[in-house]
Amino acid sequence: MAAFAVFRLPEVFNHRAGFDHPKHLLSRRISKSRCCMRNHASKVKTASGRNYYELLGISVDSDPQEIKESYRNLQKKYHPDIAGQKGHEHTILLNEAYNVLMKDDLRKDYDASIGHVRVRLGADELNMGYSTWNGPFRPQALFVDENACIGCRECVHNARKTFVMDETTGCARVGVQFGDDDTSIEVAVESCPLDCIHWVEREELAVLEYLNIPRPKQGYGVFGQGWERPVNVFMAAKTFKKHLKQEQAESLRRNVRQDVEQETEAQAQAREKASLKLKMERFAGLWEWMKKV
Amino acid sequence: MSEEIVGYTVASDSETTREENFPEPEIAIGIDIGTCQCSLAVWNGSQVDLIRNTRNQKLMKSYVTFRDESPSPVGGVTNQLSHDYEMLSGASIFNMKRLIGRVDTDPIVSQASKTLPFLIQTLGIGVKPFIAALVNNMWRSTTPEEVVAIYLVELKALAEARLKRVVRDVVLTVPAAFTRLQLTRIARACAMAGLHVLRLMPEPAAVALLYAQQQNKNKNMVDSGSEKIGLIFNMGAGYCDVAIIATAGGVSQMKALAGSCIGGEDLLLNTMHRLVPDMDSLFSSHGLDEIKSMGILRVATQDAIHKLSFQRSVQIDVDLGNGTRICRVIDVEEFEEINKGVFEKCGSLITQCLRDSKVVKPEYIDDVILVGGCTSIPKLKKIVTDICKKNESEIYSGINPLEAAVRGAALEGALASGVNDPFGSLDLLTIQVNAHSIGIRADGNRFVPIIERNTTLPARREMLFSTAHDNQTEALVVTYEEGDDEKQVLLGYFKVVGIPPAPRGVPEINVCMDIDASNMLTVMAGVVMPGSGTRKPVVPLMEVRMPTADHDGHGLCADALTTSLGSTLDLVTLHNNKLNT
Repeated sequence: MAAFAVFRLPEVFNHRAGFDHPKHLLSRRISKSRCCMRNHASKVKTASGRNYYELLGISVDSDPQEIKESYRNLQKKYHPDIAGQKGHEHTILLNEAYNVLMKDDLRKDYDASIGHVRVRLGADELNMGYSTWNGPFRPQALFVDENACIGCRECVHNARKTFVMDETTGCARVGVQFGDDDTSIEVAVESCPLDCIHWVEREELAVLEYLNIPRPKQGYGVFGQGWERPVNVFMAAKTFKKHLKQEQAESLRRNVRQDVEQETEAQAQAREKASLKLKMERFAGLWEWMKKV
Repeated sequence: MSEEIVGYTVASDSETTREENFPEPEIAIGIDIGTCQCSLAVWNGSQVDLIRNTRNQKLMKSYVTFRDESPSPVGGVTNQLSHDYEMLSGASIFNMKRLIGRVDTDPIVSQASKTLPFLIQTLGIGVKPFIAALVNNMWRSTTPEEVVAIYLVELKALAEARLKRVVRDVVLTVPAAFTRLQLTRIARACAMAGLHVLRLMPEPAAVALLYAQQQNKNKNMVDSGSEKIGLIFNMGAGYCDVAIIATAGGVSQMKALAGSCIGGEDLLLNTMHRLVPDMDSLFSSHGLDEIKSMGILRVATQDAIHKLSFQRSVQIDVDLGNGTRICRVIDVEEFEEINKGVFEKCGSLITQCLRDSKVVKPEYIDDVILVGGCTSIPKLKKIVTDICKKNESEIYSGINPLEAAVRGAALEGALASGVNDPFGSLDLLTIQVNAHSIGIRADGNRFVPIIERNTTLPARREMLFSTAHDNQTEALVVTYEEGDDEKQVLLGYFKVVGIPPAPRGVPEINVCMDIDASNMLTVMAGVVMPGSGTRKPVVPLMEVRMPTADHDGHGLCADALTTSLGSTLDLVTLHNNKLNT
């Protein structure tokens, strides 16, 4: 009991500072190649060292369903009913994280407090990019064309808060938009020997970053499997956008016809989200095809 | 570690007789102490078994009879009643669950004092009521805890005889409406009986665990990830609980919990009052004849209510023995009209729970689970299904309403004892919530909640307070729990001393509350002076395990605190300061 008291009492005042979970970092590294899209976004570590997303082992763009599942799985491991009294502290943190992330307003506040703003494609909740923003949005954003990148680390060297090295792919990428002051970013962009750091419109960033992530490609037997990304990510983005626009126009026309059918807001949102994801998947197939031609 | 959870040392014979090296963890047994009936269950290695008594009963009547000859006294576990009247002779104490941990200003106690055959004396000043049983024409005093302990000793003996081992660890189910004071009383009774309480879990939580297990079993046909929302409505003789749970993959997550002290006893009393309107004055003297006629009326009314669950109307024809003869017909409509208040309260509990749980629409509820003896009453079924927009045929049928709580308690007992099941039947968890808000008195006699009700357990919350007066060096932290009907129950108090003299509102007094998974509440307080650079407390922190209040007179105590100390040691809240939401 004495040991508990010693452990617990300072918590009254320092509970914001003391928490760190190195294990999570480790597991992240390992799982990176398997589901890279999910994990990049939660890379940002706050000064306090405790990130609710890391605690729950989820990505910043997780939907409530994913949060719930992960929370329950962790509870099964740490809840004092199962782990005994030693699970107490951790379960309290889990409860706190769950409570915040499951409530939209609290989650927004929390996201802002850890310096992470979810980049949105239009009004849609779906977040496809991985970089986070430091400070207010600007009309332009940085983007590294990873196809061209040779992994020279020049940019990481010059602006280490903005650019990060992805060791699994051997390419640099933007971790935090405007993580450094403007001059060091300028230097970093200039320093790239292949000029593969681009200024892009903010609205395009999410799509570009999504397409930039290598995805598993369909193989034939043991041949041809692996990871790949579009050869020209800008072209791919353009084509994708065109498709998106067409689809939108299409659905608009369809909506006029089906006006009678009422739909709740939640349903509409869910449908939109699902269809966008589907489109994304389809598009992943499209550029595969484009390359073959 | 074991004693720390209960808060006091369990001194019992079992300590010495217990073998030190158990090859396997001792599996805690589950006990459902009901107002009317009790049951006992244990995890047998592959499933939950209910333990039967020598008369092959799974459900045993809850009462203890005091008598002169030895062995005295006996409880409903071993004793055989020749007739219900025997229980109503004044020698038997029952309905203890409704009386335990209550003071004599409580309406439940004063109502019981007028209608129960044994003696309950109230003074109405906020102290413990005096309870006595009639032995050889003499009122012999006892306490609710003692009665429960006697009963638990019998249960323990029964379990030990059946399981052929020493039984020490137990999981008890309790009503959600129980305040922490009542919980400590139950824990105290267990300690008196030589039992060690692993968990005191709300009845709906136990049911939720059983439900999670059943869902987990059925999952192989459907996808395991799909979440099911369930509404648990539990109404027995003494209490009514409602909970909303979300279940997926063996984990039942409670979203909201509410409870109230209404039950079959209220239905019974209301009906008795209708039959004999001047009942209270008639029986007030507790003479032998009056006790007898009261017993006759009680049995007749009980019978009638049971019949009304299956038939439209019932004929009551009894002679109370004192010259009054009651001969009338009561139909279902009249019964429902008499008990309108009780049914309305049930409805409001369910709607409140739905609102708290943030389940947007009652249609989202997948399963309506009815538990407890009273839920066979058609009107109650209708209330629940109407609110949930279901048909009565859609009520969840996989659970025995009378055994669900005890089976859940046995599952929790196995879990908390660290039992692993190779087949995954124990791959379960109930994530519970706090049924009552807990806070302290501040801002001039106002209740400031620190841990709100329906907070997921275990939980820890902090709040900043400050002094109410200039150069105030001491402050009183008075902890309250919000009970039934927004009434606050005093849990305890302690003083924070050594606050450096400063203008009012400057010193920061951090009050932190922590509830662990076994529902143990600890209140911590520390003083920080802003601007001193460090965030270090200026005096040693206080850590107080609640409740500390005098159990026997906490009502009196609360009044005394306000009258004798006034506002000299008051606290005020610091604006917008919840550190962790």
